[in-house]
Amino acid sequence: MINRRDLMLAGLAGATAYGFGRVNPDFLINSAFAAEGKTLRFLGAEALTGNWDPTTHTNLGQLIVEGFVFGYLTRAPMRPQKPDELVFELAESLQPIDTYTMEVKLRKGIKFHDGSPFTAADVKATYEYGCQPDRPAQWYPGLVTVDVIDDLTCRINTKAQGYPATLYYYLSSFLPIMSAKDIANKAQLSARMNGTGPYKYVEQKGDTTVLTANPDFFLGAPKIPGLEYRFVGDTTTRTLSLLNGEADIIERLEQEQVETIAKDARFNIHKAVSVENKYLFFRCSKKPFDDPRLRLAACHSIDRKQVLEVLGVSGTYSKAHISPVKFGYTEVAEYPEYDPAKAQKLLAEAGFPKGKGLPELTYYTSVGFYPKTKEYAELITGMLQEQGFKVNLQTLEVAAWGNLLYDKPGGGEGNMIDCGWCTGSPEPDLVLRTHFHSSSKRICGIVDKEIDAVLDKERNATTLEERKKVLQTETLPTIARKAPALALFTSVFIHAYSKKLDGLYIYPNGMQDMTKATLA
Amino acid sequence: MTVATIIETEPEREPVRIQSVNRRILLAAWRMPSFRIGLFILTALLLVSAIYPEISSVSATKMVVKDKFLPPLFLGEKWVWEHPLGTDQLGRDMLMRSLIGLRYSLLVGVVTVVLIFIIGCGLGLFAGFKGRWWDIIIMRITDAQLSIPMIILAITILGVSRPTVPTIIIVLALSGWPLYARVARSAAVAERGKEYVRGLRVLGAGDWRILLLFAAPNILPPIAFVAVLDVARMMILEAILGFLGLGIQPPTPSFGSIIADSRKYLINAWWIATIPGVFLAVALTSINLVGSALEKARNRIYGGL
Amino acid sequence: MLILEFLIKRIAQGILIVFITSLIIFTLLRVVPGDPVRLIVGGMAPPDVVEKVATKMGLRDPIIVQYGRYMRGLLQGDLGQSYLRPRSGMIATGGQYIDPTKSDMAPVIDQILERLPFTLQLGGMALLFAMLISFPIGIAGGLHQNGWQNALAFATQSLFVSIPNFWLAIVLILFLSVKLKLLPALGYQGFSYVLLPAIVLAVEIAPFIIRTLTTSLGEVMQSTFIDEARVRGLSRRRIVYSHALRNAAVPLVNLLGIQLSTLIGGVLVIEYIFDYPGLGNLTVVSVVGRDFPVIQGIAITTSAVFVFINIIVDLVAYLVDPRVEI
Repeated sequence: MINRRDLMLAGLAGATAYGFGRVNPDFLINSAFAAEGKTLRFLGAEALTGNWDPTTHTNLGQLIVEGFVFGYLTRAPMRPQKPDELVFELAESLQPIDTYTMEVKLRKGIKFHDGSPFTAADVKATYEYGCQPDRPAQWYPGLVTVDVIDDLTCRINTKAQGYPATLYYYLSSFLPIMSAKDIANKAQLSARMNGTGPYKYVEQKGDTTVLTANPDFFLGAPKIPGLEYRFVGDTTTRTLSLLNGEADIIERLEQEQVETIAKDARFNIHKAVSVENKYLFFRCSKKPFDDPRLRLAACHSIDRKQVLEVLGVSGTYSKAHISPVKFGYTEVAEYPEYDPAKAQKLLAEAGFPKGKGLPELTYYTSVGFYPKTKEYAELITGMLQEQGFKVNLQTLEVAAWGNLLYDKPGGGEGNMIDCGWCTGSPEPDLVLRTHFHSSSKRICGIVDKEIDAVLDKERNATTLEERKKVLQTETLPTIARKAPALALFTSVFIHAYSKKLDGLYIYPNGMQDMTKATLA
Repeated sequence: MTVATIIETEPEREPVRIQSVNRRILLAAWRMPSFRIGLFILTALLLVSAIYPEISSVSATKMVVKDKFLPPLFLGEKWVWEHPLGTDQLGRDMLMRSLIGLRYSLLVGVVTVVLIFIIGCGLGLFAGFKGRWWDIIIMRITDAQLSIPMIILAITILGVSRPTVPTIIIVLALSGWPLYARVARSAAVAERGKEYVRGLRVLGAGDWRILLLFAAPNILPPIAFVAVLDVARMMILEAILGFLGLGIQPPTPSFGSIIADSRKYLINAWWIATIPGVFLAVALTSINLVGSALEKARNRIYGGL
Repeated sequence: MLILEFLIKRIAQGILIVFITSLIIFTLLRVVPGDPVRLIVGGMAPPDVVEKVATKMGLRDPIIVQYGRYMRGLLQGDLGQSYLRPRSGMIATGGQYIDPTKSDMAPVIDQILERLPFTLQLGGMALLFAMLISFPIGIAGGLHQNGWQNALAFATQSLFVSIPNFWLAIVLILFLSVKLKLLPALGYQGFSYVLLPAIVLAVEIAPFIIRTLTTSLGEVMQSTFIDEARVRGLSRRRIVYSHALRNAAVPLVNLLGIQLSTLIGGVLVIEYIFDYPGLGNLTVVSVVGRDFPVIQGIAITTSAVFVFINIIVDLVAYLVDPRVEI
């Protein structure tokens, strides 16, 4: 089993890079595969939502597709040597002017796929729309206004909200820029994707999203003429399709498939420790998990080492609610580890000695998307049952699971649900605030003043060092103590692709060979 | 020459035993080797699945992750005596899982067929005997139900509510009764015209009495013999439901769900898929051998009447 | 005239049966727990939106009213629109609610018609393969009632009927597709994709054909007219093919009608395993996704097809053997 320390210290010489699962655009322009003029067929593990407005979802599959179609002010390569580096794309510079203002200078000559020019007005429309609290995708730390100075300059203004504008420094790499025209006409926004990225959205054919190269992409037209993202919700099917030559690149592989494909000389395997953590979310707004003691009892019943054994190469150890790759990660001392004695003590304290009197708990998980979910779900169910919890495991296919994932008034479906959270930026609030702050609480539904307080505190910290300190000494430990969710492990993204894609670097989020550019 | 010697006397003979039709069918079946083989295998499986899990200390549900993917005896490199048929993806013993799965399969199969038999034949006899309105209504219902393929009905009901063993049995029974109702009905219609029934009516016996005491024992046994085959059919259906995720839920092992899970490991740990399939196939083959032998015997005896 | 009478009577009965079937499925879906509206509005919508949409779609009206509305649409050839798939045909998950009352959702009838040819092709090929396997074995077994041929037929039939179809599918995928690379396995990108599923389905159907052939051919060969034919000096081949087979064919044709139900069931599982884009696949996905209109549409289509085939079967049986009562 990989020790986190080794992982960090080794600098991952060789195979790994930190990441998020998006294909490096540079490869799209330079690779040999491109030369053949064939469409790249990517089999994705998650179905899309059908609503192309990026603020209406937190769907990972769709984020991957958006990565091809939309442009971002910056991109964060998240390389092991320089995890904090930002590469500029649509923006040429991000300059803090004072605590609450950051000036953005935009690149000239960029056009949206529908032909309209990219200007500051688009940035303004995007940010002011996306920060609204009714948006299902709660990525923003709060409301924000953007003041347009001229067509290529604007200022991000957070004065009214009272949090530092520098929060947008890393956040800018995660927010796709939409056209102001589309935002004014929501139906159009939802009907198709219109961005500034290297690929244009053509159509949705059944479960396949068809993209074609954008000849006006500012870095030059991609050599690969077309891209197809096809949702295939079954791991075996994805693997067999790759082996049969019906796909060029697949994601979310598990140990056994890696072994099989590794034996086949036609394919390459790419592994990367990612920004994604897998969580066991508790529904905290209804009984019985509204009691933190019960949640902690459940956490102490689970032996995460065994879970990691089930995962094999697809997971790695982590001891906090964010991935080791995120800003502010530390091994939290109070993190609940496997301790049956403590679990029993907490159960008794909560009024359910040895689990007597507990209602049956429903545990939902998906299959076909994340690796080994069914296997470790069965394992966890067994471990919980050993301590006296009565658990009913329901495995659902991806679409059904996606539909009951989110929190609803009344607590949402079931009592526990398995989910991964992957946000392509070192910004920890994309996980912590989105899930654990009462203004957002996407899945677990927790409303806890203490957690809110520590989250606000780290958000409002004025310097990066102070923010890190607050995160490591107050925020993460508090969250660990209250356990609104249990982070089971950090995912290792494994992709397999045909060797014909020579020169492909899947930079889960970066542009490794961007020696030219910084797009500047 | 004495007069006495001319008189022929019948040699002492064993009193002739008039065997009932059913007895004859069973005996005829017994004579077929296929019947004996099938029955032997079936009994062996029944005994093993009933007894072995009780006496063995190995558990079918305990997950020991470090023992995962152990191959069966003598195959591969890492086999152990403790797990003669290997382990699955979470380190659970395959032999034990297959045996427990077999238990549930047989349980569901047999109970379902009994239920189908009672409901189907009950309604069929009733319709056939009473005739007129009852007949028409019940027959139309069977027609309608026969036109909904069982599997659509099953996955509709089980897909939207939670599958438990009783629910599964009821759903399977619902899909199977129409056929029995039809067969029972035509048999009842035939019986109705027979002499002894008319005789009983003349004697004043009521419809129910005739039906239950006299007609049923004549009609039901031939159907019952063939019902054995349906046990196999129900077992397969239960496995299919399990495969689709609509059968007996984990952690209880059931063939369908074990095989469904094994699809991912086909290339690396083929035994997880193959062994339950072999168990199921052997069990089904033995049931089918017994059932077909009974059917052949029945056809032969009845054909001869 | 007799045929016309028969047709009218059976078609009328058929319509009644389809009607009853649709009522049963309709009620079943509304009665069983699980609210499809939640699935339509997506995971993130608040409950007042759920109620609003449900009322707008008429899902809170009493069952009879809903059924009446559905039937009215049916008579106009409209089977409703899918709850889950937009016109583009993709499966949607999570995210925010798309208003399905706009006609952006895929019409059920389009979905069914799109997939029906695939399923028919699969069924047809499977039937062909099944006949190719079972006819030689069955006829040989029927003609030599006490010989090794009969034992072989019996053994084959017992074996095939005892192999679970999904297990066989998996094993064949492993060997024929992955290890030996002879046939493609998943999805549909050309005619060769239908072969492997058809083989598995054929193995499922074959035992019944073999059994019927052996028994009925055996019976027919015992009958007096065959003896007569022999006396008359006809060659064995002529006897078997011109006379015996025709008589033996009647139970076979009837068998098709009964086995259709099994065939449909088998198709469902096989299409699911092979990811074959036919009606069976659609059914499994729709049931699991609680896509009521699609489930209803498929149930009605299936029972209509069922009724239709049974009528054809009876008609053909009559044409082959006029003694059959219709």
